[in-house]
Amino acid sequence: MSDFLALILQQSINGIYLGCLYVLVALGLTLIYGVMNQINFAHADFVTVGAFAAFFSATRLFTKWMGMSDGTGYVLSIFMALAAGALLGLLVNAAVFAPLRNRSDELRPLIATIGVSVLLENAQLILFGPIPFQFDSPFAQNTIRFGKIFFSEQSVLVVIVAALAIGGLYSFMKFTFLGKALRAVSQDRETAGLMGINENFLIALTIVIASALAGMAGALLGPVIVLTPFAGASVIVKAFAIVIIGGFGNMEGTIIAGILVGIIEAFTVQYLGSGVIDLVVFVLLLFMLVVKPTGLIAERREENV
Amino acid sequence: MSRRVADALSRPVRWPAFLGALVVIALLPMVLGTPYWRGILVVCAMNVLLAMSLNLVIGYTGQLSLGQSGFFAIGAYVTTVLLKSYGWNFWLAGVAAVLAAGLVGLLLAAFAARLRGHYLGIASLGFAVIVYQILINWESVTKGVRGIYGIMPPPPIRLPGLPEISFGNQATLFYLVAGIALCVYVILDNLVRSPIGETLRAIREDEISAASLGVNGARWKAFSFGVSAAIAGLAGCFYPGFVGTLVPDAFGIVESFTMLAMVIVGGMGTMIGPVIGAVVLTFLPEVLRGFGDFRLIVYGLALTLVVLFMPGGILQAWQILTARLRGTEASESTGGGR
Repeated sequence: MSDFLALILQQSINGIYLGCLYVLVALGLTLIYGVMNQINFAHADFVTVGAFAAFFSATRLFTKWMGMSDGTGYVLSIFMALAAGALLGLLVNAAVFAPLRNRSDELRPLIATIGVSVLLENAQLILFGPIPFQFDSPFAQNTIRFGKIFFSEQSVLVVIVAALAIGGLYSFMKFTFLGKALRAVSQDRETAGLMGINENFLIALTIVIASALAGMAGALLGPVIVLTPFAGASVIVKAFAIVIIGGFGNMEGTIIAGILVGIIEAFTVQYLGSGVIDLVVFVLLLFMLVVKPTGLIAERREENV
Repeated sequence: MSRRVADALSRPVRWPAFLGALVVIALLPMVLGTPYWRGILVVCAMNVLLAMSLNLVIGYTGQLSLGQSGFFAIGAYVTTVLLKSYGWNFWLAGVAAVLAAGLVGLLLAAFAARLRGHYLGIASLGFAVIVYQILINWESVTKGVRGIYGIMPPPPIRLPGLPEISFGNQATLFYLVAGIALCVYVILDNLVRSPIGETLRAIREDEISAASLGVNGARWKAFSFGVSAAIAGLAGCFYPGFVGTLVPDAFGIVESFTMLAMVIVGGMGTMIGPVIGAVVLTFLPEVLRGFGDFRLIVYGLALTLVVLFMPGGILQAWQILTARLRGTEASESTGGGR
């Protein structure tokens, strides 16, 4: 294999690994948008909460206090982060989304989630302080080698966990009754309600799933990002770009766009430097919006006059 | 178009309110006498300008824009770079900065012509991210994350026969920015009460119906974005001279969200609402200092609660309250409740 080809392959693998992380964050945003037509600006902080939950359970609870090995501790901490995200989602839904849901208004819930975001960030700032935490994954040091291509066990773990989560969510949406009901609610809430679907329960379920995914993404991102109370913000702007590129509310589009942005990021780092990643991604986003405003996979839309 | 703008601007000014506002502005630095509080006053005047600028796009034209921090940044950086690197006069640099921000606003309006709702929101957010990234990466001009230091306040004005007006202290700087904000308020107030205001509101309520009545949506959206961006740029001109340093972090996307919060909390689609929102959200963190480290938590909580319990913002809540006290129904004068 030539060096050039190896480089391309290496960066593609790095890109897919990054992309999986972004997909986990972006899927939650797109799910909430699909069902409620709302943007959740506090989503970034669900990621941060998940990262901190994972950090403390991996480095303290499971290893120091319960005496498990580092590896088991980290894997179990992913579930703790998932649970923390789900719990937070339940709370935020009850406090913010549920009361605001029935007003057909796109701006006020957005501001409310900005308020939640400020609240969560500063609560974590008081709890954990501004100094970044060193969150080492026990799998990050071990590399697997195939010829000229290297990747860490951590990236394999991330891709497996993400694939399981995405696959699980996808089959839940496609093959279960609840998933079908969820899709019905996202297509037309009123009609779904008339068909006897409990939309309040389903919307709460959506937010819990979305938040759980964000929390889990936090556990996987923790070792990659600088872990401070404001860590989620670095990922969330990219997640927004992914959701738009994939088409708001469109699961398949979001998955494809997420992997695509991950790969673009990997090659940008290789050829242009890490400083311009956001620049490249957002120029791509604006270009995309000019060429194809409905996203990669077009959704059907009617204009009601 | 230019004739309609000229017509809108030549409408009578509401003199009693104008003079009342002038008196309040004159008294404020005397009531809040310490340099610290006067500094907050200057910030407040800039925030009023920013909130008013965003309100024109969101409240009156109904276009979700999260890119306002980008225009604020363009105003600040164009002024400072022309001033420090090219030796321009401050006032001339300021005019250039306002024009630059306005032109970029027209550019963003090209997206508004094609996109709506949350798509436009994220596209404009993308614009703000791009501006922020350019500030960080274009080091030869913006000095990157290290920032530009030692920026002087606006030069003193020397008028024949009058004492020199220096902007070295917070009080005169406040008079300058607040005076400009008041002028902008009067101009916008005339604009939104004119047929142009009707046109913009028609686009807000239903763009397709407006188009069927002969309203060129793209053109008036461009007008709205351009004017709004120019006003945000105007606020940006005074920021570097006030703070003395200029770093990209002052123009993160959080700033766009704060401006949006001011508009919504005050009452969007009204003239006085965003002014109230800007004043409340500027002073709230200061008033909450008693909570120490917890003040921003309380701030976030307050923001969420206002939205939950005052859907039309503080202005509408106040109107409902006074109407209840008088025993009549609340007036529907507040617009923008989409």
